[in-house]
Amino acid sequence: MESNLSSAGDKKVSCAEQSKCFQLLESILDGENIPEGDKILKEKLEKCEPCYKHFHLERAIKELLQTKCCHQITPTDLFENIRKNIQEIK
Amino acid sequence: MSEVQRKKYSDQEKNHIFDQEFMPHIDSMYNFAFRLTFDEDDAKDLVQDTYLKAYRFINSFEQGTNAKAWLFRILKNSFINDYRKKSKQPAKVDYQEVETYYNSDDVDYTHTTDLRADMVKDMLGDEISNALNSLAVDFRTVIILCDLEGFTYEEMAKILDIPIGTVRSRLHRARNLLKEKLRSYAQTMGYNTDEEE
Repeated sequence: MESNLSSAGDKKVSCAEQSKCFQLLESILDGENIPEGDKILKEKLEKCEPCYKHFHLERAIKELLQTKCCHQITPTDLFENIRKNIQEIK
Repeated sequence: MSEVQRKKYSDQEKNHIFDQEFMPHIDSMYNFAFRLTFDEDDAKDLVQDTYLKAYRFINSFEQGTNAKAWLFRILKNSFINDYRKKSKQPAKVDYQEVETYYNSDDVDYTHTTDLRADMVKDMLGDEISNALNSLAVDFRTVIILCDLEGFTYEEMAKILDIPIGTVRSRLHRARNLLKEKLRSYAQTMGYNTDEEE
C-alpha cells in the first residue's frame, strides 16, 4: 500500500503487528535465542519505520544503562567480614 | 531453600566452591543489594547474609552450575523476606500478584513514548541512575538483572520465581516506565519530545 510507505526510504510508516514485532525485537536485543533472529531483525529495520525507531531507542537506553549507571564500589571490609562470619559458623 | 539436596561436600570442596564460584560475584552482589536498599550498611548486611546462607545451604548447589543466578536468587529472597519489611520506603504494589491475576502474556506492546534514541544518548549517568532508582522495586529489579547483569529470561525467571512470560512483560512495562522518566529529563534539557524526527 502506497500510503503505508515513507517517502524517504520506502519504509512502512505503521506496523500492522506492532505488539508482536516489538516483543520480538526486545527479545533479540536481550540476546535471547530467536531462530533466524539476525535475518528477522535486518528485515524489520530495513522495511518498518516504527520497528526501526523502537529498536534503536531500546538499544540506546540499554547501552546507556550499561555504560553510565555507575557501579557502587564494594566496601573493602565486606570480603573480610564474610570470611570471618563463615569461620564462625564452621 | 527449595533446592533439592544433591550431595554432601567435604569441607575442602565447600571452601573451593565458595572461593572459586561464589566470591567472584561479590561486586555484582553488592551493586544489586545497593540498588535494592539505597543504603550502604543495609547493602553490606544483605550481601553478608546472602553469603552466609549460601555457605549454609551449599549442599543444595550443584558445583559448576550457574552460581551467580543462584546467589542472586538468595539475595532477592532475603531482601523480600527481611530487608524490604524494615525498609523506610513507602509500601509498594505487589506487581507479581497483579500480573498473575491478569494474563501476563497479553501485555500491550503498542505503548510508546515520544522519546528518541538521539535524546537519551546525551543524558548523564546521574540522570539514568536516578530514573532507574525511582522505579518500583519489582520493575527496577528486572532491568538490573537483564541490562546491568546480563541474565537471560530463563535465569531471571528462576531468580524471581516467575514464568518467562511474566519476565518478558514485566521487563517491557519497566522499560516503558523508565522511558517516561527519561522523557521528563529530556524535556528539562530542552528537547521537544512531541516533535517528530
